[in-house]
Amino acid sequence: MRRRSSLFNSYLFIFPSLFLTLALGIYPLIWAFRYMFYDYQGYGKERFIGIDNFTRLLRDTEYWHSVYNTLIYASGKLIIVLPLSLILAVILNRGIRGKVFLRAVYFMPTIISTSVMAIVFFTIFNSYNGLLNQFLLKYGITSKAIDWLGPDYAMLTVIIMAVWGAIGNYMLLFIAGLQGIPDDLYESASIDGANVVQKFWYITIPLLGPVLQMIVMLAIINALKGYESIMVMTEGGPFGKTDVMYLYVYKLFFPVSAASPTVQQIGYGSAAGFVTALIVGAITILYFAMSKRLNQD
Amino acid sequence: MSSMKSSGFQSGRFIGQSIKWIFLIAVAFFTIFPIIMAMLGSVKTNAELTTGATILPTVWQFANYATAWEKANFSQFTWNSLFISLVVTVGTLLVATMSAYAVDRTKFPGKQVYVALQASTMFISIGAVVLMPQFNLMVKLGLNKSLWGVIIILISSHAVIYFMLIGFFKAIPKDLDEAAYIDGCNFFTVYWRIILPLLRPALGVTALFTFRGAWNEYILPLVFTMTNPKLQTLTVGLANLRYGIGAAAEAHLMMAGACLSFLPILVVYVLANKSFIQVTAGSVKG
Repeated sequence: MRRRSSLFNSYLFIFPSLFLTLALGIYPLIWAFRYMFYDYQGYGKERFIGIDNFTRLLRDTEYWHSVYNTLIYASGKLIIVLPLSLILAVILNRGIRGKVFLRAVYFMPTIISTSVMAIVFFTIFNSYNGLLNQFLLKYGITSKAIDWLGPDYAMLTVIIMAVWGAIGNYMLLFIAGLQGIPDDLYESASIDGANVVQKFWYITIPLLGPVLQMIVMLAIINALKGYESIMVMTEGGPFGKTDVMYLYVYKLFFPVSAASPTVQQIGYGSAAGFVTALIVGAITILYFAMSKRLNQD
Repeated sequence: MSSMKSSGFQSGRFIGQSIKWIFLIAVAFFTIFPIIMAMLGSVKTNAELTTGATILPTVWQFANYATAWEKANFSQFTWNSLFISLVVTVGTLLVATMSAYAVDRTKFPGKQVYVALQASTMFISIGAVVLMPQFNLMVKLGLNKSLWGVIIILISSHAVIYFMLIGFFKAIPKDLDEAAYIDGCNFFTVYWRIILPLLRPALGVTALFTFRGAWNEYILPLVFTMTNPKLQTLTVGLANLRYGIGAAAEAHLMMAGACLSFLPILVVYVLANKSFIQVTAGSVKG
């Protein structure tokens, strides 16, 4: 008797979730998919233009420059953050003094909003009266203020901030992975005379394999998608030097700040968003195929 | 255990230990430095903050907080942030536990499709593009004039919480449901009286996670409050200080505001450190 009503109950219970997902997750995708083929400025008439948005995007050097910037940003961030957090995880996975305290300290930045920390980093790296330049000048480390948010260093500054915000997260994911490796393997390796580095290369890395593969994939996707902190700190400037793909797409829809008005380009923005998602997807699949082959060797 | 201990081995070990600790302390310094600087900067005078090159404030100007709270309108921002975060947390947990309960406890046609749909929403991202149709939808419903538009959209992205909860549901034995049914419970009362109370630890942890996400959200409230500053949250109001008139003249208020926005959540983190760490390690979110 219970069974008869259970089907209705099941649907009743998934309804809120399903409804919200369809209305605010799937519908916007379909909406964007339609506007990719339209010329629409957000007001007035919309006009079907076929694939013109895509051919325009192909010739849009600013967009491809943002793609290039994204690759620099993502690889810069990952090259630093992944080894760093893996080494931290390996050290903190063993019973060393202050383990719990140190984990808490490294994880702390991930608690704080990226937009808020971008404000703090802005006051530290600000070229005119930033804290970093104040100290560098006061102690004579540099004779001239370094333009941290200028064309030469802005990308580096943005990467430093990204690394700061991500270390704790990846350290934790690595620790979770490391806990799956049995201790006796390390013990028997020690008896055989293996040193720390050998144990790392011949036990930790191979046994962490599948977990490592997943974490790196997540890290790649996240690094390609991140734009919030850059938006607050540099708005993609100076001269588009820190403009990343998703920030570029954002600017086609909304103004970044009251100081920088935007001409809405909804059709073109939809096309750019779609192509950007494809680029992220392609890089992820490429990585997955490559890392799988490495695993099999 | 190796029992070989020559003096060379000992000194090599000492150097290794030193390098390890220098490394650990350097990274700790790097991660904590901006937070300390923000806290110290928040009680400096503006002149000292922008030209002083001091670490500790020469004058501890706690009035910055009062100024930020009243003049820079942080009381309003805090209330907005708190309201959004609390409602989103309750709403997300309700929606996600209900669907997780149905999916884990019953069979129904279309179940696989539903689960696949949830999974796909986590991985397909066309960035800010979706904000436009979401915003238009809320305008049509008249929900863009209040915080409810932001709240509903944030609740709609509950897929991560749903997948975390499914794991916890699997740990509750189904025999318990059967026993409850025999005792006269029905589908609803089993959910409300048996499952939810048993799920309490999991709910606490996921609530923490959801709350943090909503509290720290930036883009969504930014877009929704562009024409209505009264609805700004802490993250948005703070970022706007940067573009305000004489932004450079208000660095001390920016730091006080930053501390007002992250200190509460930092305190919660210190108190619930273990749960934070567990849930992050257990989830697939990077």
